[in-house]
Amino acid sequence: MKSSRSYPYWFILPGGLVYLVLFLVPTVAAFWFSLTHWDLFETRFIGLDNYYQFLREPFLITGVVNTVIFGVLTSIAKSVLGLLLAVLLTSGLLGQSFLRTLIFFPVLVSTIGVGIAFAEIMHPARGMLNIGLSYFGIQGPAWLIDPNLALFSVALVDIWKGVGLATLIYIAGLATISSDYYEAARIDGATKLQMFFRITVPLVRPATVTVVTLSLIGGLRSFDIIWAMTKGGPGFSSDVLASVIYKQYQAGFYGLSTAGNIILFALVAFIVIPLTYWFNRREVDL
Amino acid sequence: MATVRLKNIHKEFNGVKILKGIDLDVNDGEFCVFVGPSGCGKSTLLRIISGLEDATSGTIEIGGKDVTKSDPIDRGIAMVFQSYALYPHLTVRDNIGFGLSLAKRPKNEIRERVDAAAKMLQLESLLDRKPKDLSGGQRQRVAIGRAIVREPEVFLFDEPLSNLDAALRSKMRIELTELHATLNATMIYVTHDQIEAMTMADKIVVLNAGHIEQVGTPMELYHHPQTPFVAGFIGSPKMNLFEGAIAKEHNADLYGIRPEHLTLSPKEGKWKGVVKHIEQLGADAIVHIHVESLGMLVVRVDGDFSITAGSTIYATPQEGKEHLF
Amino acid sequence: MKRQQIINGVIALVIGVLIFVTPFIFIGLTAVKSAAEASQLGLSWPSEWLFWDNLVAVIQARNYMLLLAYFNSTVITVGAISLLVISAAMIGYVIQRRPSKWNGFIYALILAGLMIPPAVVPTIWLLKELHLFKTLHGMILIQVAYGLSFSVLLFRSFIASIPRDLDEAAIIDGAKPWQVFFKVILPLLKPVTVTVILVQSVTIFNDFTNPLYYLPGKDNVTVQLTLYNFQSQFSSQMNLLFMNILLVTIPPLIMFIFFNKQIVKGMTAGAVKG
Repeated sequence: MKSSRSYPYWFILPGGLVYLVLFLVPTVAAFWFSLTHWDLFETRFIGLDNYYQFLREPFLITGVVNTVIFGVLTSIAKSVLGLLLAVLLTSGLLGQSFLRTLIFFPVLVSTIGVGIAFAEIMHPARGMLNIGLSYFGIQGPAWLIDPNLALFSVALVDIWKGVGLATLIYIAGLATISSDYYEAARIDGATKLQMFFRITVPLVRPATVTVVTLSLIGGLRSFDIIWAMTKGGPGFSSDVLASVIYKQYQAGFYGLSTAGNIILFALVAFIVIPLTYWFNRREVDL
Repeated sequence: MATVRLKNIHKEFNGVKILKGIDLDVNDGEFCVFVGPSGCGKSTLLRIISGLEDATSGTIEIGGKDVTKSDPIDRGIAMVFQSYALYPHLTVRDNIGFGLSLAKRPKNEIRERVDAAAKMLQLESLLDRKPKDLSGGQRQRVAIGRAIVREPEVFLFDEPLSNLDAALRSKMRIELTELHATLNATMIYVTHDQIEAMTMADKIVVLNAGHIEQVGTPMELYHHPQTPFVAGFIGSPKMNLFEGAIAKEHNADLYGIRPEHLTLSPKEGKWKGVVKHIEQLGADAIVHIHVESLGMLVVRVDGDFSITAGSTIYATPQEGKEHLF
Repeated sequence: MKRQQIINGVIALVIGVLIFVTPFIFIGLTAVKSAAEASQLGLSWPSEWLFWDNLVAVIQARNYMLLLAYFNSTVITVGAISLLVISAAMIGYVIQRRPSKWNGFIYALILAGLMIPPAVVPTIWLLKELHLFKTLHGMILIQVAYGLSFSVLLFRSFIASIPRDLDEAAIIDGAKPWQVFFKVILPLLKPVTVTVILVQSVTIFNDFTNPLYYLPGKDNVTVQLTLYNFQSQFSSQMNLLFMNILLVTIPPLIMFIFFNKQIVKGMTAGAVKG
């Protein structure tokens, strides 16, 4: 092959250079900066002190734990709800294409806008949500005010905003499953529930991999929605790593902020890479 | 117009030897067909001549000039692809004129040359269409037009007819032959179809497993195959080839006789056998006979020849028509 | 359609509208109310329809900050996407067409771009060194860097469906490598280019985090940042804040109305392959 002449590597250069300088270099540099005391005035090597601080300070630990909770919770919810909605919206329901459009629209809307709006919707006394619940005789909680609940309330809104994308990926996945399987199963006397668990769930697996991976990566890195709704509060109860990174940056603790970045990076890598590996290995067995 | 001379062409890819020393002369104005089974290296050889691929070693001369290291554009060649490779976003006119416009020829010259090529190929009414609006045969013509318009010294064809249906294929065979007569250009044509090779070629090059088995005119290959491979490859149905007693009888390793060179008789003959199967083609019929001492024997007879499966029959090879290897 | 499907459909529609439409109705209604009425947070019909007044007030706020923000966001989005499309298509083309021992490494770098959260403070440090911090062109380049992986993957898989014969025919016709790409391949990438443009423009236009870090200051404000800035300023004027949300939602809404199918295709097709 004369590919060396026909497909020159300099084609990679323009984009590659931007990527190298503005993404790869800072990522590598971050490992060094995370080992320094770095503020407006100086950069001093302090070893792993920033990391020790992350393990010692309760509010920083909360950030790490919350990140995992938020990422895992929203990811699971989006895949489960997404699959159920996808099955529902491919069953030939009245108005199903309208419904697909409806649940997808929030995906495109500004996260900050959604966050601000929902902060008001979740107002404990006057918010639409609790007023709505009261019609059913339910006393709604103090969604964003209650420190034990704030993170989950934000997660709920994140799920609301993101489930449309999960659903559409699942719909695309379902479309690849031949109806022959369902017909064969019907002849074998399978119930709808059996068909769902024994045909749909295993065969829609590539879509599941995508939904779980995408929403996990997105969820662990979430910032906008949390910042718009609670700014990590009340107290530090809904802080995640991304908001801690921003707060430490604003406070001028650049080294600490960067250490947070590395921890987030490690978290994403340690959760997502083994997961993809495991998913792919299972796929080979199929 | 030009000669093409290949000297000791070798090609290795990932440690696999694809071509093992090809020496070949294609004369000026000759229609030369590379034929062989898939994987024999014929397409690779064509691509090496075109300059799309480099030979591992060896030299290529076109028109007496060493072009081994030249870019395709500097070799004076044009190529017609199996898939036609028409640019989907360009009209027929722009497809044919693409090379000329890359070469920055004046606009009116491009128009004239495209019009001339289109006229030759009866494409005038299609010049403003896109490839997707053309039939298979029309696309084929555009691909040929794209080659003609550049007035190359050598035309290269890579299985250009294999995507057409049988009727169109035989029509295009005739058109290509006529085109060759009109242009009187050197053409190198790759195919796996021995019928295309036989009907169109001045010279056939039979390739097998990366080397040349035999070079010759169609009738030379038919009458005097030099290797069992060529014997089996050229001619349809295939030549009957037998080892064993019959070969030893002629002091050879292999005895061959073409199906059309056997005579059948219900009463007497050299080999007695049982008719297993008859393929009736109309004008003639292919009879499969099981002969005890040989195995299966294929015979071509006149379509009117009366015969039934299961009957006993005698087959006799025509005098002097046997091939020994 | 069976009776059961119709009944289920009606139920699903009611629930769907309740969950997915009411928040937008709430935004819309609040945006046209008076400040006092808006602070009630209800879904009630506005007693006074103040659409125009609120719109003007939001636009005039802080010395027409919103108009500047729209301008900046447009510059960033258009600039970043133009660069992204060309550079990502070129990369996707070469790595698809030219298999080599480097491909695994390149592919790993691409996946890293999808996965790794950007290291913000070191990036700011670097932007300062390059005098790109707090500049629109710096922001454009950041968006190119962050959007490159996704775009390259989309282009690469699309280019795989374009037969190599076309490249070779062009080479035989005398095209130089860059001519093969720009004259033959690029025009054929229209469908996937549309997808990349749509998906990335929504992403970049809606981006809040990156402008927050890399583009602080009033002069460089982007549309999403106005929301954030107004959130504190308008805390007593919920109507104006929500009018702002409404205005910010309009561009994606327009995209959505005209290009819903292509956006969906891009987001899911890029995704199902993983």
